Amino acid sequence: MFDKRFRKTVRMAKMLRKGERVAVGLSGGKDSTVLLHSLASLKKDLPFELVAITIDEGIEGYRARTMVPAKRECERLEIEQKIFSFKELCGKTLDELVAGSEKSRSQKQESALPCSQCGVLRRYALNKAAMETKADKLAIGHNLDDMAQTMMMNIMRAEPSRIARMNEPVLKSGRFVQRIRPLMLTPEKEIAIYAMLKGIALEHVECPYAGSAFRGHVRKMLNESEERYPGTKFKIMNSFLEMEGTLRERYSKGASLSLCPECGEPSSKGMCRFCQLSQ
Amino acid sequence: MKLIIDNEKTELDFSGTLDALLRELKLMREEVVVKVNGKLAPETARVGPGDEVNVIKVVFGG
Repeated sequence: MFDKRFRKTVRMAKMLRKGERVAVGLSGGKDSTVLLHSLASLKKDLPFELVAITIDEGIEGYRARTMVPAKRECERLEIEQKIFSFKELCGKTLDELVAGSEKSRSQKQESALPCSQCGVLRRYALNKAAMETKADKLAIGHNLDDMAQTMMMNIMRAEPSRIARMNEPVLKSGRFVQRIRPLMLTPEKEIAIYAMLKGIALEHVECPYAGSAFRGHVRKMLNESEERYPGTKFKIMNSFLEMEGTLRERYSKGASLSLCPECGEPSSKGMCRFCQLSQ
Repeated sequence: MKLIIDNEKTELDFSGTLDALLRELKLMREEVVVKVNGKLAPETARVGPGDEVNVIKVVFGG
């Protein structure tokens, strides 16, 4: 059932082609580790190259623990692993950035929250790493729960333009590696059960910054809804897939992409968020 | 019944389905996986005295 859904998702969304080089964003958590295993298994039937990229955000007591199983699984599956860090990319760890922003900004400002900062830096880092490894696709472990949460967050913030680019940027650029989400139709709990059944040993640790996120609130709300009304997450995801095309068409009209004057990476307006945060 | 929640062991006097147990413990089905006597079990499984129930949190932020 799990493998069947995984392969069907890859096939239906035409995520992979024979001979492509695929970089997997591997944190060492259950989602990305199961993704690595499933892609390694798929590779036996559909020949493509696989490389793992791990981003060390620099979160004391958290990332170092999940990097151990990440390394072990790559060795076990004989997959090349490349490690990149926030410290190398922007000169600071996430811990240092958070400490800096707490001093200078109000924590009520959402863009100053650790998860918002980490999200911007991680997206940038993963893309840069995928470019450096010459990948055609960047596979990330977003599951059904993640997608339903993101969809609801964008609705609750009244940001339909973000829904339009949930899967990929509205405007194409040679500097963006196309992202694929082969687990987007798989519930998070099923991924955990699959990992247990396959004997994949994982570190069950929670990011110390997770409690501050709006996402945590939405996660709880959706899990309560799922218990009362089973199928809620699938219905949200199906709604997203239904409206994605229309929204992409609407928000691509008149949109333009410029280059960040600091780093030269694509940016929707002026200095990109990565450079703003790094300064 | 021996109850283990995230490696913390305790004894509990309970008979019923896992679904009812999770509700009594105020835990969400969506966020945990349960093993009964070492084997993964669905929420419809019945448990009672003599069973070892291991509740493992699997949904984390981050």
